[in-house]
Amino acid sequence: MSAEKQRIVVVPCSGIGKTFGSVSRDAAYEVCDELRPDATRLLALSKLVLGEEEARQQVRSGRTVTIDGCKLMCAAKLVAQSGGTIVREVAVLDVYRRHRHLKPDGIAEMNEAGKQLAQVVAQEIVETIDQIRAPSTPGEADHA
Amino acid sequence: MPEFLQTTIDKFTFEVATDRSYSPDGIWLQDLGGGRVRVGVSDFVQQHSGDVAFATVKAAGTALSAGDEFAELETVKVNLGLPLPIAGTLVEVNPALDASPEVVNHNPYGDGWLAVIQAAAGDVERAGLLDPPAYLSVVQSQAALELDRQ
Repeated sequence: MSAEKQRIVVVPCSGIGKTFGSVSRDAAYEVCDELRPDATRLLALSKLVLGEEEARQQVRSGRTVTIDGCKLMCAAKLVAQSGGTIVREVAVLDVYRRHRHLKPDGIAEMNEAGKQLAQVVAQEIVETIDQIRAPSTPGEADHA
Repeated sequence: MPEFLQTTIDKFTFEVATDRSYSPDGIWLQDLGGGRVRVGVSDFVQQHSGDVAFATVKAAGTALSAGDEFAELETVKVNLGLPLPIAGTLVEVNPALDASPEVVNHNPYGDGWLAVIQAAAGDVERAGLLDPPAYLSVVQSQAALELDRQ
């Protein structure tokens, strides 16, 4: 499998105008642009909503992490509907419940707590990505 | 299993359980007998407030006057203080709220109840609560008002 194909697809919810949706997008950018740019590929949920074939193919052919701001779980549902394999389904609300001091506020201009919550979400996703991509046996890395 | 009145406004459908009374704020009270009432929030309140992150209810044994806040819902949108429409003593808190506060969203008239209150004598009758059709009218007015604001 090529390195390009092995990239994990990250799909945040669109959640436009919603604080927790903004956290999900910030976390996705953090993972894909800053923390693991070589291991991930960011995919806009709207492409799946529109049924764009290239986007559907991306989630079908690889492994996907979804990040949802609310319990409607639009990203997870659309990836599943598109035939994708979800290796981690993150609900920002669940992460916030574990970090109550990081209450996000604001949308266009996120407060500091919201930015920190996005970092926490991003770190949790990175742990999953690293586990998935870690060679399962000592010799496996040599043959990758 | 309660039956429901329903109203659909724009893309939202709100249910009002027919087996209980309501305050205009959307707190429902269900008679358990012996002066005890179970209380929770209506479907309209939970939909309007958004996903519940934390539900905090005052401790069992707390004496409350009518209008006192007996619980707070912290949702993705708001922190919502809930006033008790009657006087009484809080005798039981829903134990599911700590681990699964989302139960308030999933089943506001069932597993998502908040507390049981031992009502002060005669207070339920004095509270001027609304029957389900009257509360449905309140929901329709409030939802229409929200739509006008948007």
